[in-house]
This record gives sequence, structure tokens and C-alpha cells, in this order.
Amino acid sequence: MLKVEKLESGYGPMQILWGPDLEVKPGTITSLLGPNGAGKSTLLKTVLGSVPVMGGSVLFEGRDVTSLPTHKKVDLGITLVPEGKHLFKEMTVYENLIMGAYRKEARVHRDESLELIYSLFPILFERKDQKSGTMSGGQQQMVTIGRALMTKPKLIMMDEPSQGLAPKIVMEIFETIEKLKKEIGLTILLVEQNAAALDAADYVYIMHEGVIKAEGNPEEIKNSDEVREAYLGI
Amino acid sequence: MIFEQLSGNLLQGVILGGVYGMATMGLSLIFGVLKVVNVGHGAFIMVGAYVALILFQTLGIAPPLAVPVALILGMALGMLFYYTAIKKLLKGPELASLLATFSIGVILEEVCKQLFTSEARGYHWGLDKLDLGFTVLPYSKLIAFGGSILVGLLLYLWFHKTRAGMAMRSVVEDDEGAGVCGINVDWEYALSFSIGIGLTVVSGVLLTMFIPVGINPYMGGSYTLKAFVIAVLGGLASPYGAFFGGLVFGLIENGSYTLFAQIPGLEPFAMTRFFSFVMLLVILLIRPTGLLRTK
Repeated sequence: MLKVEKLESGYGPMQILWGPDLEVKPGTITSLLGPNGAGKSTLLKTVLGSVPVMGGSVLFEGRDVTSLPTHKKVDLGITLVPEGKHLFKEMTVYENLIMGAYRKEARVHRDESLELIYSLFPILFERKDQKSGTMSGGQQQMVTIGRALMTKPKLIMMDEPSQGLAPKIVMEIFETIEKLKKEIGLTILLVEQNAAALDAADYVYIMHEGVIKAEGNPEEIKNSDEVREAYLGI
Repeated sequence: MIFEQLSGNLLQGVILGGVYGMATMGLSLIFGVLKVVNVGHGAFIMVGAYVALILFQTLGIAPPLAVPVALILGMALGMLFYYTAIKKLLKGPELASLLATFSIGVILEEVCKQLFTSEARGYHWGLDKLDLGFTVLPYSKLIAFGGSILVGLLLYLWFHKTRAGMAMRSVVEDDEGAGVCGINVDWEYALSFSIGIGLTVVSGVLLTMFIPVGINPYMGGSYTLKAFVIAVLGGLASPYGAFFGGLVFGLIENGSYTLFAQIPGLEPFAMTRFFSFVMLLVILLIRPTGLLRTK
């Protein structure tokens, strides 16, 4: 579904990505793991278009989308659950969700998307009129995932959804991510530092210093002492 | 006597304050969305004043009817300056956009000087006055006040009830979040700059209905300064905060004028200005997020 080939990007004169190759197959959870500063977030942002591409290409469903602006990519069905949530804190939960259905394609499915999100996260229905900024971290993460679902995506990229959450909430978030795959058939690219993301994944990439250092299914990664010690710390 | 004078002046202050507030909304909108301080703000007010003056004097068009013309001209100027200058500087240091908006202000002043000379001009609409006993209110001022409230209300409704307005609000709150929703953030930047300038030029028209004299290419400077005080009063990034900031400022300006005039040997007009800026300093020290911000 998503194919990243020799992607190079960065901020101004500072290059971060040095040509990683990565593929996300439809209907799978692909995890991208690696230490802080490895370039994982930059890769997601470059795929979505908020960080300029310096070289290489991004293919979505076989189509070259490398230089497409972000909003056009959202139209095609790519979205991101950004690191640090980036909610509209002064808006209510409902308003946040509605903003997710901003594009024409998503607006057509607005009501069914809302229904889906409220069934996944009943608490969001109870609190739909609450300002999102006043909710707990876990609930805010649910709103962020919900808002991404409202865009009617085919591929959701998630940037460290477990960050800063209590272990119990982290488990819930990972369970939800697996549900999204199994029950709705979504394709997910999951960026994590948390090695628990290994268990949810169908395929794993290990990134370090802007390049892919290792890849394989979760068992292979777990069984490679070198990868575990060098990049995962488990 | 003094109370009669004070209540009269305070009423005038509220009315002038409403127009001040409207004249600051554009500045706050642009700062809220783009984080750009429009130092050339007053020059766009000046452009609006000339729109009212020229339309009235050459075509006999009543100043309120100049508002749509001012809005369209302002929005067009906003788009022009956004795409030629501001857009490229957004990612640069703050000083870059500050110098750019300063330069735009100077360019507007000099172009207007070439077109209309630097001589101060005025117009006489000749509407009647409303006599309240303790003070006299020209209808033109009341229309300017009503127009300001209407514009503020429309902006509020647009921001809260329409899809396009909500999109702009989401960019104010979090542009990265807006991006992942598929909102074209670049376009929202251009649009908010354009609307901000449009509102400012409109406020120039309304201000001439208040003060129909002294229209000259360099009249904007004092409005820029006042707008900064008002914007800080209202919490800088909030257009409605700016509106209420304007009301407060109008009250304080007129109220302090009356009181300073009671002290022999003081020049009340200069003291008013001094007092406004003391107020700005005090607010920045005590409540840098603005008087009306709850956070």
C-alpha cells in the first residue's frame, strides 16, 4: 500500500533521512522502531508532506505521491496521529472529531465514522461536549485517533501513541490499534520507542540515524541479539 | 458638572472603543494564525480612510457603503502582500516578517503620498446629531459603532458556525493538527492574512466616520500604537478579545482625558497617551496573556 524508496529529507541544511526503504502491506500493522532521534517522526512527516523531500520517492497504492501537498494525501486516504497529539484544545471533543471530516470525501461518511469512533471509545460520546484540552492524556490520545479515523483513511500512521501514558492505558491503545486492523481492515504504520509495539506488529523495521538497520517479522527481530541490544534495549 | 462631563466622555469612550476594537481585530487575527506582527497595521487603516474620503468626494458614496469596497480592496492587498512577501518569510526569523510589514507600511504611505499629496484632508457627511442632554452624539459615530459590532459579530459567527471559519480556528489552535485533518494550512495562512488586512481597511472607513478630518498618508502611526495596546489588553491572538480590549481602551482613554483635564497645568491629550502606555507596561508585567484571557 505504501512504499518508501531511498527517501531523503530534513530541515533546512540538516539532513535527517539518508535513504531508508520501507514497505507497508495492505491490512497489516508495520512497526518502525528505533531510539530517539533516529528519524522515525521525520519519516512519517515526510511521507505526509509536512517536511520537504530532498530525494527518493513515496508511492501510495502504486501511485507516485512524493511531491503531493499534505491535504491531497489526506484525500487519497493517508493520515497521521501526530506525536504529542496536536489536538484543538479549546474545541470540544465533538468539534475535534468533526474537523477530521473536513475534506469532501470524508464528510460524506461523517455520521458513520462518528458512530464507529463512539463505539470504539464510548467515553468520547459521554464527553463529546467537553473541551479536549481538559481531558486526561489517555482520553486525548483517543480523540487524536478518532480525529484521524474521521478522515476516512486507508493508511493511518501513528507517531508514538503510547508516549507519556500509564502502562494500563498503553495496553488499551495497542488493543485498539489491533482492533482497527482486524475489524475495519485498516493499514497501520506504527512508530514506537516502546518495544511492546513488537507484539502488535506483522512486520518490523529498525531505524537508526536515518537509515533502516534491520527488518523482519517480530520473531526474527526478537531473536536477533544484535538488534535487541543495539537498538531496542530489551 | 464633572460627573456630567465624565459620563458623557465615558459614553463617547465606549463608542470610540468599539471602533478601536474593530480596528484591532485584523491585527489579532494575523498574529493568531501566522504569528506575524503587522507593524504596518496603521497604514492599512490609512488606506481605508482614503477609500471613504475618495468615494465620498468623487462619487458621493456614503461612507457605510464604502465598506464593501474597502473589504475587497483590503483582501486583495492582503493576498498580494502575502504571496509576494510574507509567505517566504514565515519560516525565517521573526525580525524578517517584522521588517517586511514595516516596509509594506512605508510603501503604502509613500504611494498614497504620490497619489493624494501629504496634505491633511477631510470630508463632511452632514448627518444630524443625537442630543442626550449631557453629551451630543453624531449619528455617523453611532453608525460606525453599530457597524463595528456587526463586523465583530459576523466574524464570531463565521469562526464558530461555518466550516471555513472552524478550519481557520483549528489552524490558530494547532497547525500540525489541522494538517493531518486535510486542511490546506498554506491556504488558511493566505486567507487569514487577507481577511485580517480586509478587516483593517474596513476599520479605516469606520474610523473616518468617527473622525472625518486629518486624513493624510502618515495618519496610521498612532493607530498602530493604539492597536498594540488594545491587542495586548485583549490577549493578542484573539480577535474578540481585541474587540473587548478596544472597549476598555476607549473607556480608559476618554475617562483619563476628563480626569487629567481637571489637574491644572497638565496637557490632558499628551497625558492620555502616556497613561495608555503605562497601562501597557503594567499589563505586560502582571498579566502578559492579556486581561481577558482566563488561561
